[in-house]
Amino acid sequence: MLRRREFLRAVPRLPREGRLLHVHRRAMACRFEATLPERRAVGSACAALDEVDRLEAQLSVFRESSEVSFINRRAAAEPVKIDESLFALLCQCAELHRETGGAFDITSGPLTRCWGFFRRQGRIPGDAEITLARQSVGSEKMLLDCESRSIMFVCAGLEINLGSIGKGYALDRAASVLKGRVRNVLLSGGSSSMLAMGSGDYKREGWLVGIRHPVDCNRRMATVRLYDAALSTSGGEEQFFVHEGRRYGHIIDPRTGAPSDRVSGVTVIARSAAVCDALSTAFFVGGRELAERYCEAHPDVLVLMLESGSCEPVLLGNRALCEVEILDE
Amino acid sequence: MNLTNEQKEQGRRNFLRALAGAPALAALGAAAASQGPIKGGPVKAAVIGTGGMGRGLINQCRREFIDLRAVCEINPKRRSAVVEMMTNNGWPEPHQYGDWREMLQKEDLEAVIIAVPLWAHADITVGCLDAGKHVLCEKMMAKTEAECRSMIDASRRNNRVLEIGYQRYYNPVYQTAFSGVVEPGLLGDVYFARLVWHRNGNWRRREDPPSPDFDPRPWGYADWEHLLNWRLYRQHSEGLTAELGSHLITATNWFFGSAPSAAYAAGHISRFNDGREVADHIFATFEYPGGRTATFSSIESNAFEDHYEMFMGTKGTLILQNETEVYLFNEGGAPAATQIETSHQGAAPVADASATRPADAERTVNAAASEQTDRGISYRNEIAEFCGAVRTGRPVRCGPQKAMESALAVFAANRSADKRARVELGGAEV
Repeated sequence: MLRRREFLRAVPRLPREGRLLHVHRRAMACRFEATLPERRAVGSACAALDEVDRLEAQLSVFRESSEVSFINRRAAAEPVKIDESLFALLCQCAELHRETGGAFDITSGPLTRCWGFFRRQGRIPGDAEITLARQSVGSEKMLLDCESRSIMFVCAGLEINLGSIGKGYALDRAASVLKGRVRNVLLSGGSSSMLAMGSGDYKREGWLVGIRHPVDCNRRMATVRLYDAALSTSGGEEQFFVHEGRRYGHIIDPRTGAPSDRVSGVTVIARSAAVCDALSTAFFVGGRELAERYCEAHPDVLVLMLESGSCEPVLLGNRALCEVEILDE
Repeated sequence: MNLTNEQKEQGRRNFLRALAGAPALAALGAAAASQGPIKGGPVKAAVIGTGGMGRGLINQCRREFIDLRAVCEINPKRRSAVVEMMTNNGWPEPHQYGDWREMLQKEDLEAVIIAVPLWAHADITVGCLDAGKHVLCEKMMAKTEAECRSMIDASRRNNRVLEIGYQRYYNPVYQTAFSGVVEPGLLGDVYFARLVWHRNGNWRRREDPPSPDFDPRPWGYADWEHLLNWRLYRQHSEGLTAELGSHLITATNWFFGSAPSAAYAAGHISRFNDGREVADHIFATFEYPGGRTATFSSIESNAFEDHYEMFMGTKGTLILQNETEVYLFNEGGAPAATQIETSHQGAAPVADASATRPADAERTVNAAASEQTDRGISYRNEIAEFCGAVRTGRPVRCGPQKAMESALAVFAANRSADKRARVELGGAEV
């Protein structure tokens, strides 16, 4: 018999393993989860998830009672005074809209509806339908008045939908709830948005997160180590429909009115999960040029992108932001 | 416990949802495989007893873990049949023996798999351990408490691995249910487990002796009938509670984290009064510490419910059916608002990012489903991990202590049925 000691000498030393606590809840039509190495942190994790619930009640267009639904009903008729934090969020959305040349747009809901993605029943709309929908799209048609903290739409039919930033925003807010209560936590929303606080797992080298390959879903494209940083991934591989052999993903380019197909998948890493969410959507439709342009002006962003038809993912932006390992096949 | 197809589907989904954070079943199942081939090469081994169970185990042996070089069986017909099966399956022709002692003397073996009738477990196991062999012995452990203890003593005395064949410990379905549902407390407080193994048919086997002059008396069986149908005779068997119930009791001890403190049982020969000495209908109640109870029934007149373990907690119900299916139901039907799980953290990423997945997107369900349909994986893992334990000294999952605790519960239940009285279990300390 090979004695235990001899065996241990013969094999490479295995890494020390710890236990992780996963606390999760369904919110915003997906799964929100807090992962922590501390066993006694259930209460804190629940408080963070409560904040996500609260934000869903405020931001969801699928709830008649939400503040955003109220804005959508009233803001075309009169200025609507809104909550301070929501006002700040909408201002941030307007800024991101400008910075991305219109690729990120929280008013693109009518286009998504045209293509049937709200009801998860994809369909091909006619040109006239798209043209009509585009008349009610455009964040520049949303007027934000800082003094009165109010919002007004310049035309009827405009509507706000925070689907492309809400999860990330919720993670940022959940993280602020946890500040001072837990040091180490990985928050995730719908597997596309993540926010890491602290140095992460047992090795204290940051939270190791895999990036699923957007085309070959059975393998990872890369791994990243998040240390006080957030991440967001956009792709068309989870929500799409196929018509006459062509695949249509759920992310619509607000500038053209059609689903975008120039990028297979994009992951954005930055400090704020809300910014990551918005940018990953924007770069998914805006492609590599937009991402490169944006990164030149903003040194605090890192982008991992797989362009359609390419096998080689590209890294753009500030590589010092976090450690990324691209995995070969 | 009868579920509609819709309920089954819902229960399966609930279970898979509750598991996020834990490895998929497929990954667990593959874990043992990924550890081989083990250092030091396959373990040189033999199988004693090549009836139905021994044959089944041989079929689940993988050659990167185990080198089956001999078989021992007192029935020459079954012996040659298993040798033929092995050579057809690509094994080198194993040496054949009728006497296990002779085999131990002549063969260069490190380990032995024992799958003989219950009453012979202790004698052969202790003999093999004393000869320096590691032993994987089929369940139930032994016929008496003293025999169980003698096996544990022999394992310690000789510093050899002894594992008892409770394959649920090696079943990814049970492992996942334990670590993903029971351990994190998703069931709440569990006060009741229902254990069922129902069949509709006669346990009696019919088979001609290998030759008209075959005499099993040298091996301790009065005649061919007592060898063929050893399960029906008290001299050789502890009946349904042992052969079927002990699997379920072992799983319950595992999930409850303790062994029964008392048992009361009723058993009858209700349907097949054909000269057998063990009940064909048995009903037992086991008391566990903390006000917890498990009931076990095994009948031979109705198979509607088949076999399952059902753990009923204040927050949910977990059902493990036919060793392959698992269902989870939340009390009240509504999914729990917040779920809590734990996972082991290794060198792998903590999470995987992808495009937004809807809440009802399943986790690797296809891989899990294909794993669930294969009962053989438990036995394959059991044998592979046993071999791993032989090579590295890593502990086995069940082990003789827990196997004895399960056996003691069976003895108590049978004694209770005989005496028609409640039987206390005097501490299972070893």
